[in-house]
Amino acid sequence: MKKQILILLIVSVFLTGCWNRRELNELAITMAIGIDKVDDEYLVSAQVVVPSEVSMNAGKGAAPVTLIQEKGKTVYEAIRKMTKSSPRKIYPGHLRTLIVGESLAEEGIGDALDLISRDWEVRSDFYVAVAKDSTAIEILNVQTTLEIIPANRIFNTLKVSEENWAATVGVTLDELMVDLLSDGKEAVLTGIMVTGNKEIGSSKENVATITPSAIIKFDDLAVFKDDKLVGYLTEDESRAYNDIIDHVKSTVGTVSCPEGGTIDIEVLSNKSKLKGKIKNGRPEVDINVQIEGNIGAIECSLNINKPDSIKTLEKLYEKEVENTINHSITSVQEKYETDIFGFGNAIHRSNPKEWKTLKKQWDEHFAKMTANVKVDVKILKTGTVNNSITEKWKD
Amino acid sequence: MMQNVKISSYQFLVLVFFFTIGTSILVVPSALASYAKQDAWIAAIIGTGIGLLIVWLFTKIGLWFPDRTFVQMNETLFGKWIGTVFSLLFLFMNFIYAALILYHSGTFLTTHIMPNTPMVATNILMGIIMIMGVRLGLETIARSSEIFIVVFFLLFIILVVFIAPKIQIENIQPVFEADMKSIAEGSLTLLVISTVNAVSLLMIFPAFINQPKSARKYFFIGNLVGGLVIVIVTLLCIMVLGADLTSRQEFPSYGLAKMINIGNFVNRVEALMGALWILCLYFKMVLFFYASVYGLAQILNLKDYRPLTYPLGMIAIVLSLAVFPSVVDQHIFDKTISKYFSLTIGIALPLLMVIVYAIRKKRLKKDGQAS
Repeated sequence: MKKQILILLIVSVFLTGCWNRRELNELAITMAIGIDKVDDEYLVSAQVVVPSEVSMNAGKGAAPVTLIQEKGKTVYEAIRKMTKSSPRKIYPGHLRTLIVGESLAEEGIGDALDLISRDWEVRSDFYVAVAKDSTAIEILNVQTTLEIIPANRIFNTLKVSEENWAATVGVTLDELMVDLLSDGKEAVLTGIMVTGNKEIGSSKENVATITPSAIIKFDDLAVFKDDKLVGYLTEDESRAYNDIIDHVKSTVGTVSCPEGGTIDIEVLSNKSKLKGKIKNGRPEVDINVQIEGNIGAIECSLNINKPDSIKTLEKLYEKEVENTINHSITSVQEKYETDIFGFGNAIHRSNPKEWKTLKKQWDEHFAKMTANVKVDVKILKTGTVNNSITEKWKD
Repeated sequence: MMQNVKISSYQFLVLVFFFTIGTSILVVPSALASYAKQDAWIAAIIGTGIGLLIVWLFTKIGLWFPDRTFVQMNETLFGKWIGTVFSLLFLFMNFIYAALILYHSGTFLTTHIMPNTPMVATNILMGIIMIMGVRLGLETIARSSEIFIVVFFLLFIILVVFIAPKIQIENIQPVFEADMKSIAEGSLTLLVISTVNAVSLLMIFPAFINQPKSARKYFFIGNLVGGLVIVIVTLLCIMVLGADLTSRQEFPSYGLAKMINIGNFVNRVEALMGALWILCLYFKMVLFFYASVYGLAQILNLKDYRPLTYPLGMIAIVLSLAVFPSVVDQHIFDKTISKYFSLTIGIALPLLMVIVYAIRKKRLKKDGQAS
C-alpha cells in the first residue's frame, strides 16, 4: 500500500499543472473577427481587447481594443500569421461577432466559414453580419460609447433590436449553418454599416463628443443564394421576413387612419404559422399571422372610445401587414428567386414525397408559387389614456 | 477455480445500462442521422426494440449454464479445441473493443477539450484507471458503477432540462420520410454497438451473479433503459441541432451541450457534460477489458487473472494509439469491419451455440450431472 502511495506521489509531480495551459496574459481575447477578400487573398482582422484599458482602474487613455490584420491564402493561415505582428495568440473563445466584407459575401462565404465551424475553440453562439457597402475592417475600426468594446456593442445592439424591432434579425453561426445546409431555405444575414466620418471613428475623439462622428448601425437584411450575397431587403421586406419566419418578439406597427394621420400599434405578441401544401400539383403555402397589441399612439381623429373603431383599426392593420407580406414575397420572388422564407422546408414537412421532385428546381418553383396570407389582429388595450389630446381642436 | 465473486442483480442492471449507452451516446446520433435524417429517433427505437430480442437470446443461452462463463460455455458445447478457437475470437473482439474505446475517449478529449495534448497522455491516464478497475475486481467495478449511476442521471437530467427551451419540434418533421432501408441501416448501427456487443456480458452473466434467474429480468431492463437514454439523446440532437447539423458533427451530443444557454447565466457547461460521456465510456471499456482478461486466464487455466492485466493493459494502450492512422479510418472501420465482426461473434456464434445445444442436449445433461 505504502509503495502504491509513493508511486502516486511521484506520478503527480509530473502531472501537475495543465499540459497546454495559457495564462490570461498570454491570450489575445478576440471579440470580433472580420473577413474580407482582397486580390484572391483573405484579409482577416481581429478585434482584440486591451485588458489594461477595459479594467476597473482605468487605463492610460489608449483605445480599448486593437485591430490586428493579416492577409493569407486561407482564413486559418491568416489568423496564425497574426502572431507575426501580435505578441499574443488569437483566442476566439469569446467571439461575439463575425463580420463578412461585402465583396467576400458576393463571392461566397462557404469556404471562409469552414474554419470557424471546424475549429474547437470557436463556439457557435455569436452573430454573423455582412458589412454593407464597406469592408469588415471599416466596421471593426470604430470606437463606441455605452459599450467600450465595439464588438460587445454590436452584439448587444443586435440582441436588443431583434427583441424590440421587427425589421432586424440576429443570425448566429448555428442558424446560418442550418440555413446553408438546408435544401428548403436560403440564408439571410443582417447588414451592418458605418455612417459618418470613418476616419474620426477610429480615434478617441469619436467617443469624446456627445454625438459620435461615426456610428455602427444595423441595416436591412442581406439575401443569399446558396452562399453568395445577391442583394438586400428593404425595411418593410425585412419586417415581412421576420413575420413569416416567426421571429418577432415585440415591435411597433403604423396604421394610416381612414381620414389621414396615423395610429401606432404596440405589438406585444406576434406569432405566425407557415404551412405548405400541394394544390393542383403546384406548391403553395399558407401563412397565418396572429398579432396582439395595444394602441401606442394616436395621431389622427379616430374616436377610439367606440368598439367599432377598434374593429376598424384591427381590420386596417390586418390589411397593412398582409400587404407588406404579400408585396415582400412577390418582390423576393421576382428580384432574387431565392427562398429565404423557408417555403421549401414547409413543403418538405407537409408533402415529403412531392418535395423529392420539387427540390431539384426549387428556385424556379419558388419564384412561381402562391402564398396565402392571413393576418389576425387583436387590439386589447389603449394605453394609459383613451382619446387623443388633439381631438379637442379637431371639431 | 478462481475466487468466488458475486454481484447483486441490481449492480448487474447498472453495468448493463452503462454498457448499452457506452460509446453509443457519443457517436450514435450522428451515425443515425446520416442514415435516416430526421427519422433517426425512429431508427433508435427500432434498434432498441430488436435489441431486446437479442438480449433474450443471450439470457437463454446463459441460463443453460448457470455457473459458467462464456468461455467455459464454448468449451462445454464445442469441445476443447473448437471451443478454444471460438473463445479466442471472442476474447480478441473484447480486447480490440476495449482498445477502441480507449481510442474514442482519447480522440474525444483531444478534439474538444485538450487539442494540444498528445493522445498518449490521455490514453495512458485512462488506461491506468482501466487496469486499476480490473485489478480491483468485478465487485469493485460494480459497486463504483452503483455510485456513478446517480452522477450520470443527475447530469443527464440537467442536460435534458437545460436544453429543453431550444427544442424546435419542426425539426423532426416530416416523420417517416426515410425509407425502410436507411432506417434499417441506422437501427443496425445502434443494435451492434449497444446490444450485440453485450455478448461480452455473458462473461459475467450468469456466473457471477448471486441470483441469475432474477438477473435475467434486469438484463432486459438495463438494456431498455439504456436504449431509452439513446432515443432521448437522439431526439434532442435532431430537435435542437437539426438532422443536417447532427450528421455533420463528430460528437453531436457534445455539440448539444454546447448549445445550453439559460439567460446568459448558465452557459459553457459542456465540459461538465463531458464528464457524462467519459463516465459511460469508462464502464464499457472496463467491462470489455475485464471480459478479455478473465477469459484469457480461463483458457490458460490460470489461478488468478490479475497477472495478465498489466501486459494486456499496456498492449491495449499502445494499440489504442496505433490502431487507426487517422479518424477517417475509424469511421470506415465502424461502418464496415466492426459491424460484421460484432455480428459474427454476437449473433452467429450464439445461434450456433443454440443449434449445438439442441443436438447435444441429452449428453450435456448427463455430463453435467456427473461433473
